[in-house]
Amino acid sequence: MMSKSCFAILALCAVAVSNAVPAEPPTITVSKSDTISLALTPIDGADGAAVSAVLRNDLMLSGCFSLTEAGKAGTVAGGSSDGGSLHGKATDHSGGTILMRTYDGGPREKAHAFANDLVETLTGKRGMAGSKLGFVATHTGHKELYMADYDGANVRQMTRDNGISVAPALSRDGRVLAYTGYLKGYADIYRIDLAGGARQRIVKFPGTNSGAAFSPDGGEIACTVSKDGNPELYVVGAGGANARRLTHTPGVESSPSWSPDGREIVYCSDNDGSPQIYRISAGGGRGEHLTTGYSYCTKPDWSPDGRRIAFDIREGGAFQIAMLELAGGPVRLLTGADDARDPAWGPDSRHLVYTANGSLIMLDTQTGRKVKLIDGLGSISEPTWSR
Amino acid sequence: MPQLSFHRVTGAFLVAALLVSLDGCALFKRGPRYTGVDDDRVNGTPLPERREGVSFNDPGTDKSRFAPIRFGYESCTISPSEAGKLDEVAHFMRGRGREELIIAGFTDERGTAEYNRGLGEKRAGAVRSWLLVHGADKSRIQTTSFGLEMPADPGHNEAAWAKNRRAEFGVTQ
Repeated sequence: MMSKSCFAILALCAVAVSNAVPAEPPTITVSKSDTISLALTPIDGADGAAVSAVLRNDLMLSGCFSLTEAGKAGTVAGGSSDGGSLHGKATDHSGGTILMRTYDGGPREKAHAFANDLVETLTGKRGMAGSKLGFVATHTGHKELYMADYDGANVRQMTRDNGISVAPALSRDGRVLAYTGYLKGYADIYRIDLAGGARQRIVKFPGTNSGAAFSPDGGEIACTVSKDGNPELYVVGAGGANARRLTHTPGVESSPSWSPDGREIVYCSDNDGSPQIYRISAGGGRGEHLTTGYSYCTKPDWSPDGRRIAFDIREGGAFQIAMLELAGGPVRLLTGADDARDPAWGPDSRHLVYTANGSLIMLDTQTGRKVKLIDGLGSISEPTWSR
Repeated sequence: MPQLSFHRVTGAFLVAALLVSLDGCALFKRGPRYTGVDDDRVNGTPLPERREGVSFNDPGTDKSRFAPIRFGYESCTISPSEAGKLDEVAHFMRGRGREELIIAGFTDERGTAEYNRGLGEKRAGAVRSWLLVHGADKSRIQTTSFGLEMPADPGHNEAAWAKNRRAEFGVTQ
């Protein structure tokens, strides 16, 4: 199933390169000038072919480039990799060197680092290669947690509890995975330190504890806690101590997501009858309703650049992904009627992952291009993306 | 006739009082918003500490003693049709038994998974509030939510969804 998904990505890549027709019709047309023309010469050396394939896919997924022949490109990237180090180089149209750097690690690691340097050198923006995804899948017949690389490769099962393991949240550095588990019969929040694999139950108040979201510095977790008799928003230390309550409503608060400066939290509340999006100071206070124009809005996710909130809406029984610019302007619907849910921003504040009909999809919010990252694992839900 | 209107007013008052007490959510609905106060307890009664090693899905938990309470679509309001079932539970929980009650809230499969976990917990909380108003011992009641997991009916239609929007009771020794 992994090789199938890798093959699918390579196949998509090949289609995009050979005739420049995207896999699915874009909802927004992008003129060629929005992308940088780049030629990728094959990487020489023992693991050069493996590095080339990953690098080409990274550059395609970034959405920043149109890959073309050396003679027509403004920038040419290439290098050599002998199995140890990748010597990457990029030159501009006059042959001047704009990037030259050595990368160590495995073929994928080296390719991701080079891809990010190309994105940052040529666009001034952060790349997303090398980031990690977490999600729930039902492949075993139970809801278990999985992780994968951002491009859908290296899928691995993280929990084997034969119970209910849901609502995963990766810390921004991708080192800690928090989630809601029912090992003790109640919904509690657990954390797994991914380097060593140690698991701790950290939020275990009476009632339901769920929906963890790491603060930008990883020091705190926002979540839903019902110990006072009703589901409210709380912030607790990343080890579970020092719980403080943020909301005081008779409604249900859920799905917190932090602003990049850690000062505010966006969340969902049904206090006015149907689920809506609110923002509140991370220190507490009154929640401010964000007007969306839709009656059922859940799962808000604040973009890493702080400018946008992605969320899902439900209309006529089907879900769609929506996006709100905090600077103003109308709410944009990003997906059609394919029952898209649970959006999560990538590190570049441009791409989102979400699930639709059990598959994990990556969406370029700038071009509307969709790439199916992972399927064949039963039903996939509730993705999270490291930053 | 003054006599009749007195009865009318009394009747209306009784109906209103009954509705308020039947509606667990209405107990603290639309109150003023209390902001920035830690440990605020205006809108709920805190849950007692859990007893470790005892939970709703344990083999020793009796889940068939009381019938489930049904809910309307996206609602946590307890409808008058459920009052008879709740009376039985309240009677049991007013007694001197040492049994503990775990109320588990559930939703239908539609809607967002995480929001449904909260909605299920609020349904369990609405049932708990009803029981507390009717004299149940609060130190022996816990709540939990499974959201859209563990449907009572695996179907994907209105009839199944109506059965799945529920709160179940687990009695533990």
